[in-house]
Amino acid sequence: MNCLEFRRLVLAAPRQITAEQEAHLERCARCAEFAQSVVHDEAAIAQAMLVPVPEGLAERVLLRHGIRGPNRWGTLALAASLLVAVGVAFYSHEVPRQGDEIVSAQLSGANQHAVAAIAYVLDHEPQLLKENRAGDPKVMRAALSELGLSLPANIGSVRYLGNSVLPDGSRGEHIVLQTPYGHVTLILMPDEFLESRVAVSDRNLHALVAPRWGGCYLLIADSAQTLKRVEAMLL
Amino acid sequence: MMFINPERSKFEGVVKAYSAELYRYAYWLCRDRFTAEDVVQETFARAWQRWSGLRDDRAAKGWLYAILRNEHARLHERKQLAIDPDQELDTLMDNSGANAFDAFEMRDMLAALPETYREALTLQVIGGFSCAEMATMIGITEGAVMTRLTRARQAIRRLIDPKPLIKAKES
Repeated sequence: MNCLEFRRLVLAAPRQITAEQEAHLERCARCAEFAQSVVHDEAAIAQAMLVPVPEGLAERVLLRHGIRGPNRWGTLALAASLLVAVGVAFYSHEVPRQGDEIVSAQLSGANQHAVAAIAYVLDHEPQLLKENRAGDPKVMRAALSELGLSLPANIGSVRYLGNSVLPDGSRGEHIVLQTPYGHVTLILMPDEFLESRVAVSDRNLHALVAPRWGGCYLLIADSAQTLKRVEAMLL
Repeated sequence: MMFINPERSKFEGVVKAYSAELYRYAYWLCRDRFTAEDVVQETFARAWQRWSGLRDDRAAKGWLYAILRNEHARLHERKQLAIDPDQELDTLMDNSGANAFDAFEMRDMLAALPETYREALTLQVIGGFSCAEMATMIGITEGAVMTRLTRARQAIRRLIDPKPLIKAKES
């Protein structure tokens, strides 16, 4: 077996190494290195192919064919969650929230972006994560570079990439990161110029708006410490 | 009193066991999550209609994949194959280091592959089928399946790093 044959077989079936291939591996270091890199790529391919499956898909298939009626406990759970939702809506309407004074007091400039970003994360991000839409990594890279930021490998994984329109009408490149410190949202606004750096806390989330030469960026997380750590990794 | 129909029970087990991987196969065929779910629904509808024809339970998985493939072809006209017959496997590349964009970029790369390459790769990675099984399913030779898989991975490696680092020798 020559190198070309070996590599053809490795690329066709990286997980099935024949005895003949093993013999070749023992005497060819470059092919051994090649095989190792193919196996490494294979893990990335497998991971990328595991797109999220819509919740309740099997149940919907079974319901459609009358194999199974609506689950009694499922109906009760739905009713209970509706009751909870109504209760939460009533409570939210009646009791002033912790960050309300920020919203009403200084809703301009960086503060406005920060509060809008928190609202966006709470109201839209769960759905965006479910939809699994992927933005263009090249656009995101350009925005990061314009702001002098980088995403190092140890920052974790990107869970979502897309364009966002915040409730205050501002637009940005939206990245959701799963970092070692938890879930963090990064919004890049290359064309938005601000004078000062602002940190805001609202609805149990913390947001940071930081001006840069090429615009500004927003970070949203569940603690100020996480914001600090992730920002240090980006800069 | 409720009576459990054994065939219904068996079908339920098959739906639960294979709906997720069939969805992923459908997704990589059509690259649209709504269409993918429709195709999976249609696949199980067809499977249930022909359920009595399934003699061997162990063949259920391949049978469902084949139905899904036909359903996809029926619902969406298959694109012309984009295979370059002159493409040679003379230059094979190493990949660069990983970063946080990897999963997104890899999905883009998979989406950019010709449909026939991507399908073979999906059947192997998601379905776990051998080249011989895929050959029967797709209706081509085992050698042709291997060529598609080889070229799919080669294309991905080229996209990861367009600079050739290792050259394979015929010796």
